[in-house]
Amino acid sequence: MDISDQIIPAPVAPLYRLAGVSRSYRKGQREILAVRDLDLEIRPGEWLAVQGKTGHGKTTLLQLLGGLDRPTRGRIEFAGEDLASAAEATVRKLRARSFGFIFQTFNLIPTLTAQENVEAALIPLGVRRGLRRARVAAALDSVGLVDRAQHLPGELSGGQQQRVAIARALVKEPRVLLADEPTGNLDEDTRDEIMALIAALWRDRGLTLVLVSHDSSVVRRAQRIGVMTGGRLSIRQDTRA
Amino acid sequence: MFFLTYLRRELRRRMRQAIFIALGLAVGIGLVITVLGASSGVRAAQAKVLRALYGIGTDVTVTTKPKPLSAAPISGRASSGSGAVGSGSAGAGSGPHAQVCINGKCYSSGTIDTLLSVNYGSLSQRTAAAIARLHGVSAAAGGLVLTDNRIVLPSSSSPSLEPPTSVSVDGTDISHPRLGPLSDGRLAAGRTFTAADADSDVAVVDANYAAAHKLAVGSAVTVAKTTFKVIGIVTQPQASSPPQVYIPLARAQALATDPATGKSMAGEVNTVYVAAASASGIGAVSREIQHLLPQATVTSSADLASEITGSAGSAAKLAGDLGKWLAVLVLLAAFAVASLLTMAAVARRVPEFGTLKALGWRSRRIVGQLLGESVATGIIGGLIGVGLGFAGVAIIDKIAPKLSATVPSASAAGSGLQTQTIGPGSGPVASGSAVGHATIAVPMSASVTIGAILLAVLLAVAGGLLAGSFGGWRAARLRPAAALARVA
Repeated sequence: MDISDQIIPAPVAPLYRLAGVSRSYRKGQREILAVRDLDLEIRPGEWLAVQGKTGHGKTTLLQLLGGLDRPTRGRIEFAGEDLASAAEATVRKLRARSFGFIFQTFNLIPTLTAQENVEAALIPLGVRRGLRRARVAAALDSVGLVDRAQHLPGELSGGQQQRVAIARALVKEPRVLLADEPTGNLDEDTRDEIMALIAALWRDRGLTLVLVSHDSSVVRRAQRIGVMTGGRLSIRQDTRA
Repeated sequence: MFFLTYLRRELRRRMRQAIFIALGLAVGIGLVITVLGASSGVRAAQAKVLRALYGIGTDVTVTTKPKPLSAAPISGRASSGSGAVGSGSAGAGSGPHAQVCINGKCYSSGTIDTLLSVNYGSLSQRTAAAIARLHGVSAAAGGLVLTDNRIVLPSSSSPSLEPPTSVSVDGTDISHPRLGPLSDGRLAAGRTFTAADADSDVAVVDANYAAAHKLAVGSAVTVAKTTFKVIGIVTQPQASSPPQVYIPLARAQALATDPATGKSMAGEVNTVYVAAASASGIGAVSREIQHLLPQATVTSSADLASEITGSAGSAAKLAGDLGKWLAVLVLLAAFAVASLLTMAAVARRVPEFGTLKALGWRSRRIVGQLLGESVATGIIGGLIGVGLGFAGVAIIDKIAPKLSATVPSASAAGSGLQTQTIGPGSGPVASGSAVGHATIAVPMSASVTIGAILLAVLLAVAGGLLAGSFGGWRAARLRPAAALARVA
């Protein structure tokens, strides 16, 4: 068979490439190794779920991937940029443009309305007010909260607050969505609702999703599932093509 | 604008704390304004006294000490009887043979009316012109500060010695209406001097003196046995001790006698009033004059202010020392409280700032947001403080008693007879001091100046910036991961 007849998929360059990443903290006299010698590649558009017990380094890994923290050792390449050694301004710009965060506690600014909370994500990008408002409306629409745009977080249910947080993460059209226990504070029904929404957004927008959760029912939709134990990641399931 | 929306919402959310901080700053700023208002009131009271002494436009006065008298210019002997006449006291003459000698000339009857320069030595009138030519001097005018003493000697029809009278007379340089004691007067009736009056026997009299002696425009006053026609009546500030009669300088020079020499004072003055070209140049002008006239006493308004004693001086010290430090302490305390509360607020908002950093906000923008909130609180405090300051000043105005000011007074000398008068059969009984002093009741009127309001606004902004910068510094140093960890 002629080689030209074979269909060979083009190699996909990984979006993330982590090599020998460790992150340690000092707590008094003790040194705690939250992430140790981690090697990992994440492709664009992939959904990676990370499971593990509390205190085993899941959140630290997510923060390293989102440029919120820097490793004590190793390299974290994101689209060719080493987050470990890049200038703070570079990392901040990446946070502003490329990374969308969803937190367990929603982290909405309590004094700002849903619309203003989402708008806050566009401020560092210097988007003009008119365009900002249009993009915010579209983002809130995508999470089904247009009619709650003028509500303060305190006036919304937990599920609605998390939807606002998702809209805030997505409004800047990031390349990566980093979700830290996004359903940790929600009841079962709301959890499923939010996970369905996240899955739909991931699928429709071609996002790279890294989701951290200790809940098995949340991570089961992911393409790859890893487990963090004592700061080490082991891949348990890989359904990628 | 997102900045303002965020700022407004945060202030509303933390309204109680914002009000507390604003009120703290307001009390400090209100106190500063009140103290400044009181100080300016005291200074204004002092200035009233000083203006009345040397005129509104005078920055520096030049005088010389009177020369020692070779003999008493006025002395007396009684050929019989006893009694004494003191300055301002009732005479107790007992015989018709009292004799008064002035500069060697003795009188035993009639009226003695002399115009003397008793407080100051004489200066050539050319001195004023020489001073006017000095660098930094905008104008200089000579004047004569004189006392008209009148003694009516006993006669057969009036055997008792009447108490002597004295009137303070100012020889006014008509060509310099903006300098000298008359410059601060407000014309109540008639007119003031014109160039045509230079050699005329015309006088302007003080309103109080006119009232006491029932004088009106057109009346006559006698100075050194010369009748002057009253052409105007002036009111001087309440706080002052003004000359009672103003006459043209040339006429005063012609009529006055220098007690040290017993000679006429033609071509001489005893005070030079100097206006500096700028307030900052007063010191340099004083030094130049002192260099030109080493024997002269050069007195600036600041020197005079320091010589004011009495409650006006005490109030000035109180406002300047205690008030100033109290205001500074309260202000520092307010700044410290505002800073601590802002720091505490930042501590509570660490997760919020962590989230903003996760969203890609610059630290600078977060610090700016915090500073904006603090400055807005400071400005609210400043506005309340200005209101409190106005209230404080109004209260001071309402309750403050009149201040007394004891001043070194040129014209006040006129109130004391600078002669030795002998009653029949007795030695010297009264003498005046060479330098006159007057105690004046000064109404104190505290006021809020534009400068004080501007200072209040500046302090408010500074307080806000100070409080915000502590909080901002803390917020800027937060690592996003550490800040977000505070949520979990």
